[in-house]
Amino acid sequence: MASAAVTCSAGAARRMLLLPPRPTVTLLRPSVPVTRSLSTTANHSSVCRHSHTQQQSIRSRHIRPESQRTPASQLQTRAYHSHDHPAPPRPFTEAETTLLSAALQHVPEHGFGPEALAHGARDVGLLDISAAVLPDGPFSLIRYHLYAQRTGLAAKKDDLFQGTEAIMTVSEKVEALTWARLRGNEVIIGKWQEALAIMAMPSQAPTAAKELGCLADEIYYLAGDLSVDPSWYTKRASLSAIYAATELFMTTDRSPGFQETRAFLRRRLDEASSLGGAVRSVSQWLSFTGSAAVNVLRSKGVRI
Amino acid sequence: MASSHPVLLRTVARAAARLSPPPQIIQAARQLSTGASTLSSHATASNTPPPPPPESPKGKKPLTPSQKAFLSSALRVNQAGELAATLIYTAQTPPVVRREPHLKPLMKHMYDQEADHLRVFNHLIAKHRVRPTALYPLWSVMATGLGWSTAIMGKEAAMACTEAVETEIGGHYNAQIRKLLEMVTEWEAEGYEVGEEFRDLINTLRRIRDEELEHLDHAVEHDAQKAEPHWLLTGVIRAGCRGAIWVSERV
Repeated sequence: MASAAVTCSAGAARRMLLLPPRPTVTLLRPSVPVTRSLSTTANHSSVCRHSHTQQQSIRSRHIRPESQRTPASQLQTRAYHSHDHPAPPRPFTEAETTLLSAALQHVPEHGFGPEALAHGARDVGLLDISAAVLPDGPFSLIRYHLYAQRTGLAAKKDDLFQGTEAIMTVSEKVEALTWARLRGNEVIIGKWQEALAIMAMPSQAPTAAKELGCLADEIYYLAGDLSVDPSWYTKRASLSAIYAATELFMTTDRSPGFQETRAFLRRRLDEASSLGGAVRSVSQWLSFTGSAAVNVLRSKGVRI
Repeated sequence: MASSHPVLLRTVARAAARLSPPPQIIQAARQLSTGASTLSSHATASNTPPPPPPESPKGKKPLTPSQKAFLSSALRVNQAGELAATLIYTAQTPPVVRREPHLKPLMKHMYDQEADHLRVFNHLIAKHRVRPTALYPLWSVMATGLGWSTAIMGKEAAMACTEAVETEIGGHYNAQIRKLLEMVTEWEAEGYEVGEEFRDLINTLRRIRDEELEHLDHAVEHDAQKAEPHWLLTGVIRAGCRGAIWVSERV
Protein backbone atom coordinates (compact mmCIF):
# COMPACT_ATOMS: atom_id res chain seq x y z
CA MET A 1 0.00 0.00 0.00
CA ALA A 2 2.85 2.35 0.88
CA SER A 3 4.38 1.92 -2.54
CA ALA A 4 1.14 3.15 -4.05
CA ALA A 5 1.49 6.47 -2.27
CA VAL A 6 2.57 9.16 -4.66
CA THR A 7 3.63 12.72 -4.15
CA CYS A 8 1.41 15.71 -4.56
CA SER A 9 2.27 19.37 -4.97
CA ALA A 10 3.60 21.37 -2.07
CA GLY A 11 0.70 23.80 -2.40
CA ALA A 12 -1.79 21.02 -1.92
CA ALA A 13 0.10 19.81 1.12
CA ARG A 14 0.03 23.28 2.63
CA ARG A 15 -3.66 23.45 1.99
CA MET A 16 -3.95 20.22 3.89
CA LEU A 17 -2.33 21.86 6.92
CA LEU A 18 -5.16 24.34 7.20
CA LEU A 19 -7.59 21.56 7.86
CA PRO A 20 -8.34 19.55 10.97
CA PRO A 21 -6.12 16.49 11.41
CA ARG A 22 -7.10 13.62 9.17
CA PRO A 23 -5.96 10.02 8.91
CA THR A 24 -3.04 9.43 6.56
CA VAL A 25 -4.35 8.75 3.10
CA THR A 26 -2.95 7.66 -0.19
CA LEU A 27 -2.55 10.77 -2.29
CA LEU A 28 -3.01 10.80 -5.98
CA ARG A 29 -1.55 12.55 -8.96
CA PRO A 30 -4.06 14.73 -10.76
CA SER A 31 -3.72 12.52 -13.82
CA VAL A 32 -5.05 9.44 -12.04
CA PRO A 33 -8.81 8.84 -12.25
CA VAL A 34 -10.50 9.75 -8.99
CA THR A 35 -11.99 6.26 -8.73
CA ARG A 36 -8.68 4.75 -7.77
CA SER A 37 -8.13 7.11 -4.90
CA LEU A 38 -11.59 6.47 -3.60
CA SER A 39 -11.38 2.73 -3.80
CA THR A 40 -8.02 2.61 -2.08
CA THR A 41 -8.70 5.20 0.58
CA ALA A 42 -12.31 4.77 1.49
CA ASN A 43 -11.41 2.12 4.07
CA HIS A 44 -8.88 4.38 5.77
CA SER A 45 -11.03 7.43 6.25
CA SER A 46 -13.39 6.61 9.04
CA VAL A 47 -14.36 10.22 9.71
CA CYS A 48 -15.85 10.84 6.30
CA ARG A 49 -19.36 12.15 6.70
CA HIS A 50 -20.61 10.94 3.37
CA SER A 51 -23.07 8.11 2.78
CA HIS A 52 -22.15 5.04 0.85
CA THR A 53 -24.52 5.77 -2.02
CA GLN A 54 -23.02 9.20 -2.63
CA GLN A 55 -19.63 7.61 -2.80
CA GLN A 56 -20.87 5.10 -5.33
CA SER A 57 -22.12 7.84 -7.59
CA ILE A 58 -18.81 9.66 -7.45
CA ARG A 59 -16.83 6.49 -8.02
CA SER A 60 -17.73 6.17 -11.66
CA ARG A 61 -16.69 9.72 -12.52
CA HIS A 62 -13.25 10.42 -13.80
CA ILE A 63 -11.34 13.61 -13.61
CA ARG A 64 -9.80 14.37 -16.97
CA PRO A 65 -6.01 14.09 -17.10
CA GLU A 66 -4.23 17.42 -17.40
CA SER A 67 -3.05 16.59 -20.92
CA GLN A 68 -6.62 16.23 -22.21
CA ARG A 69 -7.89 19.32 -20.52
CA THR A 70 -9.01 22.05 -22.87
CA PRO A 71 -7.15 25.19 -21.93
CA ALA A 72 -9.31 27.81 -20.30
CA SER A 73 -8.31 30.42 -22.84
CA GLN A 74 -9.57 28.25 -25.69
CA LEU A 75 -12.90 27.59 -24.04
CA GLN A 76 -13.62 31.17 -23.42
CA THR A 77 -12.95 32.56 -26.86
CA ARG A 78 -16.16 33.35 -28.63
CA ALA A 79 -16.52 31.28 -31.75
CA TYR A 80 -19.27 30.10 -34.07
CA HIS A 81 -22.26 29.16 -31.94
CA SER A 82 -24.16 26.32 -33.57
CA HIS A 83 -27.91 26.02 -32.95
CA ASP A 84 -27.91 22.61 -34.56
CA HIS A 85 -24.94 20.72 -33.22
CA PRO A 86 -24.49 19.61 -29.64
CA ALA A 87 -22.66 22.03 -27.37
CA PRO A 88 -18.93 21.48 -26.84
CA PRO A 89 -17.84 19.90 -23.54
CA ARG A 90 -18.24 22.15 -20.53
CA PRO A 91 -15.06 23.66 -19.10
CA PHE A 92 -15.59 21.74 -15.86
CA THR A 93 -15.84 17.96 -15.64
CA GLU A 94 -18.69 16.33 -13.83
CA ALA A 95 -16.53 15.55 -10.80
CA GLU A 96 -15.21 19.12 -10.71
CA THR A 97 -18.76 20.47 -10.98
CA THR A 98 -19.88 18.27 -8.07
CA LEU A 99 -16.98 19.40 -5.92
CA LEU A 100 -17.16 23.08 -6.83
CA SER A 101 -20.91 23.48 -6.50
CA ALA A 102 -20.75 21.86 -3.07
CA ALA A 103 -17.84 24.11 -2.12
CA LEU A 104 -19.77 27.22 -3.19
CA GLN A 105 -22.28 26.53 -0.42
CA HIS A 106 -19.48 27.10 2.09
CA VAL A 107 -18.18 30.31 0.54
CA PRO A 108 -20.41 32.71 2.55
CA GLU A 109 -18.82 31.30 5.70
CA HIS A 110 -15.29 30.40 4.66
CA GLY A 111 -14.59 32.59 1.66
CA PHE A 112 -13.13 31.64 -1.71
CA GLY A 113 -10.34 29.53 -0.34
CA PRO A 114 -9.11 26.05 0.48
CA GLU A 115 -11.42 25.73 3.50
CA ALA A 116 -14.55 26.06 1.40
CA LEU A 117 -13.13 23.55 -1.09
CA ALA A 118 -12.31 21.08 1.67
CA HIS A 119 -15.76 21.41 3.24
CA GLY A 120 -17.37 20.98 -0.15
CA ALA A 121 -15.28 17.91 -0.86
CA ARG A 122 -16.35 16.35 2.42
CA ASP A 123 -20.01 17.13 1.71
CA VAL A 124 -19.96 15.08 -1.47
CA GLY A 125 -17.85 12.31 -0.02
CA LEU A 126 -14.50 13.20 -1.47
CA LEU A 127 -11.24 13.61 0.37
CA ASP A 128 -10.13 17.06 1.45
CA ILE A 129 -7.19 16.75 -0.90
CA SER A 130 -9.49 16.34 -3.93
CA ALA A 131 -9.22 20.06 -4.49
CA ALA A 132 -5.62 19.42 -5.59
CA VAL A 133 -6.90 18.21 -8.96
CA LEU A 134 -8.32 21.64 -9.72
CA PRO A 135 -5.96 23.41 -12.09
CA ASP A 136 -6.04 26.83 -10.39
CA GLY A 137 -6.83 25.92 -6.80
CA PRO A 138 -9.16 28.41 -5.12
CA PHE A 139 -9.36 30.47 -8.32
CA SER A 140 -11.21 27.53 -9.86
CA LEU A 141 -13.93 28.16 -7.32
CA ILE A 142 -14.24 31.79 -8.42
CA ARG A 143 -14.14 30.78 -12.05
CA TYR A 144 -16.85 28.21 -11.45
CA HIS A 145 -19.02 30.81 -9.74
CA LEU A 146 -18.58 33.19 -12.69
CA TYR A 147 -19.24 30.42 -15.20
CA ALA A 148 -22.29 29.04 -13.41
CA GLN A 149 -23.82 32.49 -12.98
CA ARG A 150 -23.18 33.43 -16.60
CA THR A 151 -24.62 30.25 -18.08
CA GLY A 152 -27.50 30.39 -15.60
CA LEU A 153 -28.70 33.69 -17.08
CA ALA A 154 -30.31 32.00 -20.08
CA ALA A 155 -32.61 30.04 -17.77
CA LYS A 156 -33.59 33.20 -15.88
CA LYS A 157 -34.44 35.02 -19.09
CA ASP A 158 -38.06 33.86 -19.31
CA ASP A 159 -38.74 34.76 -15.68
CA LEU A 160 -37.24 38.19 -16.18
CA PHE A 161 -39.15 39.16 -19.29
CA GLN A 162 -42.39 37.29 -18.52
CA GLY A 163 -43.78 37.50 -22.00
CA THR A 164 -43.01 41.20 -22.36
CA GLU A 165 -39.94 40.44 -24.43
CA ALA A 166 -41.51 41.81 -27.59
CA ILE A 167 -42.27 45.24 -26.14
CA MET A 168 -39.08 45.68 -24.08
CA THR A 169 -36.26 47.59 -25.70
CA VAL A 170 -32.79 46.06 -25.91
CA SER A 171 -31.46 48.46 -23.28
CA GLU A 172 -34.26 47.57 -20.86
CA LYS A 173 -33.47 43.91 -21.34
CA VAL A 174 -29.77 44.57 -20.84
CA GLU A 175 -30.51 46.32 -17.57
CA ALA A 176 -32.77 43.50 -16.36
CA LEU A 177 -30.21 40.84 -17.25
CA THR A 178 -27.32 42.74 -15.69
CA TRP A 179 -29.30 43.19 -12.53
CA ALA A 180 -30.18 39.49 -12.48
CA ARG A 181 -26.51 38.63 -12.83
CA LEU A 182 -25.54 41.04 -10.00
CA ARG A 183 -28.14 39.43 -7.76
CA GLY A 184 -26.30 36.16 -8.34
CA ASN A 185 -23.54 37.64 -6.17
CA GLU A 186 -25.91 38.45 -3.30
CA VAL A 187 -25.24 35.30 -1.29
CA ILE A 188 -21.47 35.57 -1.43
CA ILE A 189 -21.29 39.38 -1.44
CA GLY A 190 -19.45 39.40 1.91
CA LYS A 191 -16.56 37.49 0.37
CA TRP A 192 -16.67 39.06 -3.10
CA GLN A 193 -14.05 41.75 -2.43
CA GLU A 194 -11.65 38.97 -1.61
CA ALA A 195 -12.55 37.24 -4.86
CA LEU A 196 -12.11 40.48 -6.82
CA ALA A 197 -8.63 40.82 -5.33
CA ILE A 198 -7.74 37.30 -6.48
CA MET A 199 -9.19 38.01 -9.92
CA ALA A 200 -7.05 41.14 -10.22
CA MET A 201 -3.82 39.19 -9.69
CA PRO A 202 -1.67 39.29 -12.85
CA SER A 203 -1.81 35.51 -13.25
CA GLN A 204 -5.61 35.42 -13.10
CA ALA A 205 -6.53 38.81 -14.58
CA PRO A 206 -6.60 37.60 -18.24
CA THR A 207 -9.03 34.78 -17.42
CA ALA A 208 -11.16 37.10 -15.30
CA ALA A 209 -11.23 39.73 -18.06
CA LYS A 210 -12.23 37.12 -20.65
CA GLU A 211 -14.99 35.91 -18.39
CA LEU A 212 -16.20 39.50 -18.02
CA GLY A 213 -16.21 39.85 -21.81
CA CYS A 214 -18.14 36.60 -22.16
CA LEU A 215 -20.69 37.87 -19.65
CA ALA A 216 -21.22 41.10 -21.59
CA ASP A 217 -21.58 39.10 -24.80
CA GLU A 218 -24.06 36.73 -23.16
CA ILE A 219 -26.15 39.62 -21.85
CA TYR A 220 -26.31 41.31 -25.26
CA TYR A 221 -27.07 38.00 -26.95
CA LEU A 222 -29.90 37.20 -24.53
CA ALA A 223 -31.20 40.75 -24.89
CA GLY A 224 -31.55 40.06 -28.61
CA ASP A 225 -29.09 42.69 -29.81
CA LEU A 226 -28.36 42.16 -33.51
CA SER A 227 -25.78 44.88 -34.20
CA VAL A 228 -22.83 43.63 -36.23
CA ASP A 229 -20.99 46.92 -36.80
CA PRO A 230 -18.37 48.63 -34.60
CA SER A 231 -21.07 49.22 -31.96
CA TRP A 232 -20.72 45.48 -31.28
CA TYR A 233 -17.40 46.33 -29.63
CA THR A 234 -18.38 49.57 -27.91
CA LYS A 235 -21.53 48.04 -26.42
CA ARG A 236 -19.67 45.09 -24.94
CA ALA A 237 -16.80 47.22 -23.70
CA SER A 238 -19.07 49.75 -22.00
CA LEU A 239 -21.23 47.07 -20.43
CA SER A 240 -18.12 45.29 -19.12
CA ALA A 241 -16.87 48.50 -17.52
CA ILE A 242 -20.28 49.28 -16.03
CA TYR A 243 -20.70 45.76 -14.72
CA ALA A 244 -17.27 45.74 -13.07
CA ALA A 245 -17.89 49.11 -11.43
CA THR A 246 -21.35 48.13 -10.20
CA GLU A 247 -20.05 44.86 -8.85
CA LEU A 248 -17.46 46.70 -6.82
CA PHE A 249 -20.06 49.21 -5.63
CA MET A 250 -22.30 46.34 -4.52
CA THR A 251 -19.65 44.94 -2.17
CA THR A 252 -19.96 48.03 0.04
CA ASP A 253 -23.70 48.55 -0.38
CA ARG A 254 -25.62 48.08 2.86
CA SER A 255 -29.01 49.37 1.65
CA PRO A 256 -31.96 46.96 1.86
CA GLY A 257 -32.33 44.87 -1.27
CA PHE A 258 -29.26 46.59 -2.74
CA GLN A 259 -31.41 49.50 -3.90
CA GLU A 260 -28.37 51.79 -4.04
CA THR A 261 -26.63 49.37 -6.37
CA ARG A 262 -29.67 49.20 -8.60
CA ALA A 263 -29.78 53.00 -8.82
CA PHE A 264 -26.03 53.10 -9.49
CA LEU A 265 -26.41 50.59 -12.32
CA ARG A 266 -29.27 52.57 -13.85
CA ARG A 267 -27.31 55.83 -13.76
CA ARG A 268 -24.27 54.24 -15.42
CA LEU A 269 -26.36 52.62 -18.15
CA ASP A 270 -28.20 55.89 -18.80
CA GLU A 271 -24.89 57.73 -19.09
CA ALA A 272 -23.59 55.14 -21.55
CA SER A 273 -26.68 55.32 -23.69
CA SER A 274 -26.71 59.13 -23.78
CA LEU A 275 -23.02 59.12 -24.75
CA GLY A 276 -23.71 56.51 -27.43
CA GLY A 277 -26.61 58.61 -28.69
CA ALA A 278 -24.42 61.70 -28.91
CA VAL A 279 -21.74 59.84 -30.86
CA ARG A 280 -24.39 58.45 -33.21
CA SER A 281 -25.90 61.90 -33.78
CA VAL A 282 -22.53 63.47 -34.54
CA SER A 283 -21.52 60.74 -36.98
CA GLN A 284 -24.90 60.90 -38.68
CA TRP A 285 -24.57 64.66 -39.06
CA LEU A 286 -21.04 64.30 -40.45
CA SER A 287 -22.01 61.69 -43.02
CA PHE A 288 -25.08 63.68 -44.08
CA THR A 289 -23.06 66.86 -44.46
CA GLY A 290 -20.37 65.02 -46.40
CA SER A 291 -22.75 63.43 -48.87
CA ALA A 292 -24.68 66.71 -49.24
CA ALA A 293 -21.42 68.54 -50.05
CA VAL A 294 -20.51 65.94 -52.68
CA ASN A 295 -23.97 66.16 -54.23
CA VAL A 296 -23.85 69.98 -54.34
CA LEU A 297 -20.49 69.81 -56.15
CA ARG A 298 -21.88 67.20 -58.57
CA SER A 299 -24.87 69.42 -59.31
CA LYS A 300 -22.45 72.28 -60.13
CA GLY A 301 -20.89 70.09 -62.79
CA VAL A 302 -17.74 69.05 -60.94
CA ARG A 303 -16.84 65.62 -62.28
CA ILE A 304 -16.60 63.71 -59.04
CA MET B 1 -17.87 -20.76 -65.71
CA ALA B 2 -18.25 -17.12 -64.84
CA SER B 3 -16.34 -15.93 -67.85
CA SER B 4 -18.49 -18.02 -70.15
CA HIS B 5 -21.67 -16.16 -69.15
CA PRO B 6 -20.81 -12.47 -69.15
CA VAL B 7 -24.30 -11.50 -70.29
CA LEU B 8 -25.97 -13.37 -67.47
CA LEU B 9 -23.57 -11.86 -64.95
CA ARG B 10 -24.19 -8.34 -66.18
CA THR B 11 -27.93 -8.82 -65.96
CA VAL B 12 -27.65 -10.05 -62.39
CA ALA B 13 -25.38 -7.17 -61.45
CA ARG B 14 -27.73 -4.65 -63.01
CA ALA B 15 -30.69 -6.10 -61.13
CA ALA B 16 -28.75 -6.04 -57.87
CA ALA B 17 -27.73 -2.43 -58.45
CA ARG B 18 -31.35 -1.50 -59.06
CA LEU B 19 -32.43 -3.19 -55.83
CA SER B 20 -29.78 -1.79 -53.48
CA PRO B 21 -29.78 2.00 -52.99
CA PRO B 22 -26.46 3.80 -53.59
CA PRO B 23 -24.36 4.41 -50.48
CA GLN B 24 -25.19 7.50 -48.47
CA ILE B 25 -21.88 9.18 -49.17
CA ILE B 26 -22.40 9.10 -52.91
CA GLN B 27 -25.89 10.53 -52.49
CA ALA B 28 -24.52 13.35 -50.39
CA ALA B 29 -21.67 13.99 -52.79
CA ARG B 30 -24.16 14.25 -55.63
CA GLN B 31 -26.42 16.54 -53.69
CA LEU B 32 -23.61 18.84 -52.65
CA SER B 33 -21.26 18.71 -55.62
CA THR B 34 -19.55 21.94 -56.67
CA GLY B 35 -19.01 21.20 -60.30
CA ALA B 36 -18.92 23.68 -63.14
CA SER B 37 -22.49 22.59 -63.85
CA THR B 38 -23.81 24.01 -60.59
CA LEU B 39 -25.94 26.57 -62.36
CA SER B 40 -27.71 23.98 -64.49
CA SER B 41 -27.99 21.44 -61.68
CA HIS B 42 -29.39 24.23 -59.53
CA ALA B 43 -32.23 24.73 -61.94
CA THR B 44 -33.08 21.03 -62.15
CA ALA B 45 -32.73 20.58 -58.39
CA SER B 46 -35.37 23.20 -57.74
CA ASN B 47 -37.93 21.19 -59.71
CA THR B 48 -37.41 17.94 -57.81
CA PRO B 49 -36.34 18.60 -54.22
CA PRO B 50 -33.97 15.91 -52.91
CA PRO B 51 -35.48 13.53 -50.35
CA PRO B 52 -34.65 14.45 -46.73
CA PRO B 53 -31.53 12.63 -45.50
CA PRO B 54 -32.29 9.59 -43.35
CA GLU B 55 -32.22 10.19 -39.59
CA SER B 56 -28.94 8.97 -38.20
CA PRO B 57 -28.96 7.28 -34.80
CA LYS B 58 -25.67 8.99 -33.94
CA GLY B 59 -27.14 12.46 -34.19
CA LYS B 60 -24.96 15.43 -34.98
CA LYS B 61 -21.30 15.61 -34.14
CA PRO B 62 -20.11 18.45 -31.89
CA LEU B 63 -17.98 20.95 -33.77
CA THR B 64 -14.28 20.84 -33.00
CA PRO B 65 -12.52 24.06 -31.95
CA SER B 66 -10.75 24.26 -35.31
CA GLN B 67 -14.03 23.86 -37.20
CA LYS B 68 -15.55 26.58 -35.05
CA ALA B 69 -12.59 28.82 -35.71
CA PHE B 70 -12.90 28.21 -39.44
CA LEU B 71 -16.63 28.95 -39.43
CA SER B 72 -16.31 32.15 -37.43
CA SER B 73 -13.47 33.48 -39.55
CA ALA B 74 -15.37 32.50 -42.72
CA LEU B 75 -18.52 34.35 -41.66
CA ARG B 76 -16.50 37.34 -40.49
CA VAL B 77 -14.55 37.69 -43.73
CA ASN B 78 -17.70 37.20 -45.82
CA GLN B 79 -19.52 39.94 -43.96
CA ALA B 80 -16.56 42.29 -44.36
CA GLY B 81 -16.36 41.41 -48.06
CA GLU B 82 -20.02 42.06 -48.74
CA LEU B 83 -19.87 45.31 -46.78
CA ALA B 84 -16.98 46.38 -49.01
CA ALA B 85 -18.83 45.27 -52.14
CA THR B 86 -21.94 47.33 -51.33
CA LEU B 87 -19.77 50.36 -50.64
CA ILE B 88 -17.78 49.89 -53.87
CA TYR B 89 -20.98 49.85 -55.93
CA THR B 90 -22.45 52.76 -53.94
CA ALA B 91 -19.35 54.85 -54.67
CA GLN B 92 -19.08 53.75 -58.32
CA THR B 93 -22.68 54.28 -59.34
CA PRO B 94 -22.92 58.12 -59.56
CA PRO B 95 -19.76 58.76 -61.66
CA VAL B 96 -20.37 55.71 -63.90
CA VAL B 97 -24.05 56.44 -64.49
CA ARG B 98 -23.25 60.08 -65.22
CA ARG B 99 -21.08 59.05 -68.16
CA GLU B 100 -23.00 55.98 -69.25
CA PRO B 101 -26.67 56.39 -68.27
CA HIS B 102 -27.57 53.05 -69.89
CA LEU B 103 -25.58 51.24 -67.16
CA LYS B 104 -27.94 52.41 -64.43
CA PRO B 105 -30.08 49.21 -64.32
CA LEU B 106 -26.96 47.02 -64.29
CA MET B 107 -25.34 48.95 -61.43
CA LYS B 108 -28.58 48.88 -59.49
CA HIS B 109 -29.00 45.15 -60.09
CA MET B 110 -25.46 44.40 -58.87
CA TYR B 111 -25.86 46.70 -55.86
CA ASP B 112 -29.16 45.11 -54.87
CA GLN B 113 -27.66 41.65 -54.96
CA GLU B 114 -24.69 42.75 -52.85
CA ALA B 115 -27.00 44.45 -50.35
CA ASP B 116 -28.92 41.19 -50.05
CA HIS B 117 -25.69 39.26 -49.47
CA LEU B 118 -24.69 41.72 -46.76
CA ARG B 119 -28.08 41.28 -45.11
CA VAL B 120 -27.63 37.49 -45.19
CA PHE B 121 -24.22 37.62 -43.54
CA ASN B 122 -25.25 40.23 -40.97
CA HIS B 123 -28.02 37.87 -39.97
CA LEU B 124 -25.69 34.85 -39.85
CA ILE B 125 -23.09 36.70 -37.78
CA ALA B 126 -25.66 37.76 -35.20
CA LYS B 127 -27.29 34.31 -35.17
CA HIS B 128 -24.07 32.39 -34.67
CA ARG B 129 -22.58 34.91 -32.25
CA VAL B 130 -19.52 35.56 -34.36
CA ARG B 131 -17.46 38.66 -33.64
CA PRO B 132 -17.69 41.09 -36.58
CA THR B 133 -14.46 42.43 -38.04
CA ALA B 134 -12.74 45.00 -35.86
CA LEU B 135 -11.53 46.90 -38.93
CA TYR B 136 -15.04 47.78 -40.07
CA PRO B 137 -14.30 51.55 -40.40
CA LEU B 138 -11.06 50.84 -42.30
CA TRP B 139 -12.79 48.55 -44.81
CA SER B 140 -15.56 51.13 -45.26
CA VAL B 141 -13.10 53.90 -46.10
CA MET B 142 -10.95 51.71 -48.35
CA ALA B 143 -13.90 50.25 -50.25
CA THR B 144 -15.46 53.66 -50.84
CA GLY B 145 -12.10 55.00 -51.97
CA LEU B 146 -11.54 52.09 -54.35
CA GLY B 147 -15.01 52.34 -55.86
CA TRP B 148 -14.88 56.08 -56.28
CA SER B 149 -11.34 56.27 -57.70
CA THR B 150 -11.92 53.52 -60.28
CA ALA B 151 -15.21 55.12 -61.31
CA ILE B 152 -13.44 58.46 -61.82
CA MET B 153 -10.92 56.69 -64.07
CA GLY B 154 -13.77 55.66 -66.34
CA LYS B 155 -16.29 52.95 -66.99
CA GLU B 156 -13.64 50.46 -68.14
CA ALA B 157 -11.61 50.89 -64.96
CA ALA B 158 -14.73 50.54 -62.84
CA MET B 159 -15.59 47.30 -64.62
CA ALA B 160 -11.98 46.09 -64.31
CA CYS B 161 -12.29 46.72 -60.56
CA THR B 162 -15.45 44.59 -60.46
CA GLU B 163 -13.71 41.92 -62.53
CA ALA B 164 -10.71 41.77 -60.19
CA VAL B 165 -12.76 41.82 -56.99
CA GLU B 166 -15.27 39.21 -58.13
CA THR B 167 -12.52 36.90 -59.42
CA GLU B 168 -10.93 36.86 -55.98
CA ILE B 169 -14.27 36.57 -54.19
CA GLY B 170 -15.45 33.71 -56.41
CA GLY B 171 -12.29 31.73 -55.65
CA HIS B 172 -12.59 32.58 -52.00
CA TYR B 173 -16.20 31.35 -51.76
CA ASN B 174 -15.26 28.20 -53.65
CA ALA B 175 -12.51 27.45 -51.13
CA GLN B 176 -15.00 27.89 -48.29
CA ILE B 177 -17.59 25.65 -49.92
CA ARG B 178 -14.95 23.00 -50.55
CA LYS B 179 -13.92 23.06 -46.89
CA LEU B 180 -17.54 22.84 -45.74
CA LEU B 181 -18.19 19.92 -48.09
CA GLU B 182 -15.14 18.16 -46.67
CA MET B 183 -16.63 18.55 -43.18
CA VAL B 184 -20.01 17.28 -44.31
CA THR B 185 -18.55 14.31 -46.19
CA GLU B 186 -16.51 13.39 -43.16
CA TRP B 187 -19.60 13.42 -40.94
CA GLU B 188 -21.53 11.33 -43.43
CA ALA B 189 -18.68 8.83 -43.61
CA GLU B 190 -18.61 8.54 -39.83
CA GLY B 191 -22.36 8.02 -39.78
CA TYR B 192 -23.31 11.36 -38.21
CA GLU B 193 -26.28 13.43 -39.22
CA VAL B 194 -25.82 16.65 -41.17
CA GLY B 195 -28.24 19.31 -40.00
CA GLU B 196 -30.22 21.91 -41.88
CA GLU B 197 -27.87 24.58 -40.57
CA PHE B 198 -25.00 23.26 -42.66
CA ARG B 199 -27.01 22.40 -45.75
CA ASP B 200 -28.50 25.88 -45.70
CA LEU B 201 -25.12 27.48 -45.20
CA ILE B 202 -23.62 25.58 -48.14
CA ASN B 203 -26.58 26.40 -50.38
CA THR B 204 -26.44 30.07 -49.40
CA LEU B 205 -22.74 30.25 -50.13
CA ARG B 206 -23.30 28.55 -53.50
CA ARG B 207 -26.02 30.96 -54.47
CA ILE B 208 -23.91 33.95 -53.45
CA ARG B 209 -20.86 32.62 -55.28
CA ASP B 210 -22.91 32.16 -58.45
CA GLU B 211 -24.21 35.72 -58.19
CA GLU B 212 -20.71 37.08 -57.68
CA LEU B 213 -19.49 35.21 -60.75
CA GLU B 214 -22.45 36.61 -62.66
CA HIS B 215 -21.15 40.10 -61.78
CA LEU B 216 -17.79 39.03 -63.14
CA ASP B 217 -19.43 38.09 -66.44
CA HIS B 218 -21.27 41.42 -66.58
CA ALA B 219 -18.01 43.28 -65.97
CA VAL B 220 -16.20 41.42 -68.76
CA GLU B 221 -19.15 42.00 -71.13
CA HIS B 222 -18.92 45.73 -70.41
CA ASP B 223 -15.33 46.23 -71.56
CA ALA B 224 -13.48 45.48 -68.33
CA GLN B 225 -10.59 44.13 -70.43
CA LYS B 226 -10.27 47.44 -72.28
CA ALA B 227 -9.13 49.30 -69.17
CA GLU B 228 -5.63 50.74 -69.47
CA PRO B 229 -3.42 49.31 -68.06
CA HIS B 230 -5.63 46.32 -67.35
CA TRP B 231 -2.91 44.05 -65.92
CA LEU B 232 -1.76 46.66 -63.44
CA LEU B 233 -5.23 47.65 -62.29
CA THR B 234 -6.52 44.11 -61.79
CA GLY B 235 -3.20 42.96 -60.33
CA VAL B 236 -3.17 45.68 -57.68
CA ILE B 237 -6.84 45.25 -56.79
CA ARG B 238 -6.57 41.47 -56.60
CA ALA B 239 -3.51 41.68 -54.35
CA GLY B 240 -5.39 44.17 -52.16
CA CYS B 241 -8.37 41.83 -51.96
CA ARG B 242 -6.23 38.90 -50.93
CA GLY B 243 -4.57 41.03 -48.25
CA ALA B 244 -7.91 42.24 -46.96
CA ILE B 245 -9.25 38.67 -46.83
CA TRP B 246 -6.17 37.53 -44.95
CA VAL B 247 -6.54 40.32 -42.40
CA SER B 248 -10.31 40.00 -41.92
CA GLU B 249 -10.01 36.28 -41.29
CA ARG B 250 -7.91 37.16 -38.26
CA VAL B 251 -9.03 40.54 -36.95
